[in-house]
Amino acid sequence: MARLSFSRQILPLIAVAGLIAAIVFIVTGTPDRAVTDPPETPFRAGGEIAGKPRVAGAGVVEPSSETIAIGTSLSGVVEAVMISPGARVSKGQPLFRVDTRSARARIREGDAAIASARAAIAEARNAEATAARQLALYRSVEDAAAVSRAEVIRAEGDASSARARRQVAEAELANARARRASAATELERSTVRAPIAGEILGVDVRPGETVTAGPGAGGPYVLMGETNPLHVRIDIDEDEVGRVAIGEAAVVSPRGEADTRVDARFVRAEPLVVPKRSLTNQASERVDVRVMQLIFALPDEAAGDFRVGQQVDAFIPAKVDR
Amino acid sequence: MLWIAIRMLTGDRQKFFGLVFGIAFSTLLITQQLTLFVNFLGRGTTAVYNISSNDIWVMDPVSRTPDTALAMPSTALERVRSVDGVEWAAPHLREGATVRTPDGDLERVTIIGVDDTSLVGLPDAIIAGDRNALAMPDSVIIDSVGTARLFGEEVDPIGTRLELNDRRAVIRGIVDAEPTFTSQVILYTRYSNALTYVPGARNRLTFILVRATDGTDPQALVDRIESETGLRARTREQFARDGVDYLIENTGIPLNFGITVTLGFIIGITIVGLTFSLFIRDNIKQFGALKAIGVRNHMIRKMVRAQAAVVGLIGYGFGVFGATLFIKLFEDDPTFKGFYTPWQIPLLSLFAVFVILAITGYFSLRPVLRVDPAEVFR
Repeated sequence: MARLSFSRQILPLIAVAGLIAAIVFIVTGTPDRAVTDPPETPFRAGGEIAGKPRVAGAGVVEPSSETIAIGTSLSGVVEAVMISPGARVSKGQPLFRVDTRSARARIREGDAAIASARAAIAEARNAEATAARQLALYRSVEDAAAVSRAEVIRAEGDASSARARRQVAEAELANARARRASAATELERSTVRAPIAGEILGVDVRPGETVTAGPGAGGPYVLMGETNPLHVRIDIDEDEVGRVAIGEAAVVSPRGEADTRVDARFVRAEPLVVPKRSLTNQASERVDVRVMQLIFALPDEAAGDFRVGQQVDAFIPAKVDR
Repeated sequence: MLWIAIRMLTGDRQKFFGLVFGIAFSTLLITQQLTLFVNFLGRGTTAVYNISSNDIWVMDPVSRTPDTALAMPSTALERVRSVDGVEWAAPHLREGATVRTPDGDLERVTIIGVDDTSLVGLPDAIIAGDRNALAMPDSVIIDSVGTARLFGEEVDPIGTRLELNDRRAVIRGIVDAEPTFTSQVILYTRYSNALTYVPGARNRLTFILVRATDGTDPQALVDRIESETGLRARTREQFARDGVDYLIENTGIPLNFGITVTLGFIIGITIVGLTFSLFIRDNIKQFGALKAIGVRNHMIRKMVRAQAAVVGLIGYGFGVFGATLFIKLFEDDPTFKGFYTPWQIPLLSLFAVFVILAITGYFSLRPVLRVDPAEVFR
C-alpha cells in the first residue's frame, strides 16, 4: 500500500468526487416551485365578509344625483363661463351665458315700440277726446236747422274712428310689451343655470366657443352632480343575481387600493338588467353579458378615498339560505 | 478475499477501463437523455411555474393548457371572487400576437396581461428594469430568452420601441422566465394594455389566477369553483401536468427520447455484458484455483459482486457527473434555460446500472460456478 494505485484508489476517489459534485449540481439546480406571496395582493375580501358567502362585483363611483350633462337651450357663442370644475353651486346659480347682444337689442327694440305705442295711444286719446267733444257740441244744439244732419253723421264717424284708433294703439302697446317680454325671456334663457345644488365635475366650454342646442348637438358642456354623498354603481353578473342579498351593505375598495375598504349603504337596485359595458378603452364597445346594477351610498368619511368615475371592486353578502 | 477480487479486476487495465467506460457511457446516455426528456416535457409546465403566487388556475371549460385556451367574459372574474375560500382572484390574459421589431421584422410573441394593480402573474425575478415600470403607458417587460431571440445576446433592449397591433410598446424591463415549449418571445404587460395589444375578440379573459385562503384545501376549492361557476378550475400542479400531457399527446418527444434511452440501455448491456463476461471467462482459471483451495461458490459470488460494485460505482460516478455537468455548462444557453436534473433520474440510472451488472454478472458467473476445481490442474 506504499504506492497509490491509479485504478484501485485514485479512480474510485475521482468517481466519488464526481458523484458528490453531481449531487451538488442536482441539489442547487433544482428549481424552487413553492407558492410565494406576491409583493402586492389583488383585491380580496377582508374583515367580516371574508368568511361568509358573498357576491363580488365591479363598478364605478358616481354622484348620488347621477351625472348631469348640462346642455344649452340656445345656440350661439359663449360669452362668459361663471364656474370652474370642482366648484359647489346652488340651485339656479348661473353656469355659463350664451351671447346676449341680440336679445338685448330686441329688448331695446321692444322698449322703443312700447314708447311709440304709448305715444300713439296718447295721440289717439286726444283725437278721441276732440271728436267726442265735437259730437257732444253738435248733439247739444237743439235747433235742428242750425246743424245739418250730415255734419252730425260726420262728427259721429270721427268719434268712433278716433276710438278705434285708440284701441289699435292700445293693442299695439300690448303687442310691443309681449315682444319685449319674449326678448327678456330669451335673455334669461341665454344664461344656463344649475338645475340642482351640487358639484361641478367637468367644464368643456370656454368663452368664445359655440354651443349648439337641441338633441344630437354637441356637448355635454358642463357635467355636474350631487357628490354628497357619493354613490357606487356595482355590476353583478346575471348568473349571480339570485344569490345577492338585496339590501345588505357592501364592502367597497377603490381599484388599486385593495386595503382601503369601506362599508357602503344599500340605496336601490336598478329595475332594468342591462348589457355590461366593459371599460377597456376599446373603440368598439363590447357587449358580452348582462348585469344587474346595484346602487350603494359611500359613507361621508370615505369621500376622500373615492372620486367620481373611479372604478371600484365590491363584495356584497350573499343570501344565506339554500 | 474481496481485495483479491479487486486486484483481479484491475489487473487487466484495458478490460477494467473498458468496463468502466461502458458503464459510464450508458449512465451518461441514460441520465442525460432522460434529463433532456423530462426537461423538454417540463417546458409544458413553465407557463404555470413562472408564476409563483397563485395555487389555482380557472379557465373556460374547454381550455386545456396555458396555450390552448378559450377566453371568458370579463365578469367571470367577479363570479370566481364570489366563491367562498378564494383569498383573491386576478385576471390573466395569455394570447398570441405578432410584433414588429424596429428592424421591420415580424415575430410571433405571447402577450401576457397581468393584474393591473398588483401585477400578479409577473415572474418574480427581474433581471433589468423595475416591475413598477409596467405602470407607465405602453410599457412591456420582455423575457430573457425572448431578448436573445429578438435582439441577440449583446443588445440592451430597454427603451426599444415595438409595434403591436398598430400600437406602441416600449420595453422597460427584462424578466427571468423559463421559455415555453415553442420558446416564443413573451411580453408581459398590464391587463388593460394587453387588451389593446391583442387583436380583438369579444372575450379576452383567458385565465383567472386564484389564491386559496389559508387553511383552504386547493382541491376542495377547485371543486367548489367548478360547481358554483361552471368554469374549469385546476390546481397549479394539475395544470402543469396538463401541459405535459398535451406535449406527450401531440409531439414525438416521448417516442424519440424513449428510443434513445433504450439504445443507451442496449449499448450499456452490450459493452458491459461482453466485457464483463469476457473478463470472468478469462479469469475462470483463477476462480477454479480459488475453488480448489476451498473457496465456496458463495464467496465467489461475493467476489464478483464486489467487482461489479467497484466497476459500477466508478462508471456510474463518471457518468452522472458528466450528465449533470452538461446541464450545468449549458444552463445559460437559451435552448437549455431552466434545465435541471431531477433527483429521481440518477436513481433511475443507478437502477439501470444495477440491472445491467446483475444480468451480465448472472450470465457470466454461471460457468464459473459450474467449473470443476480439478479443471485447473489438467
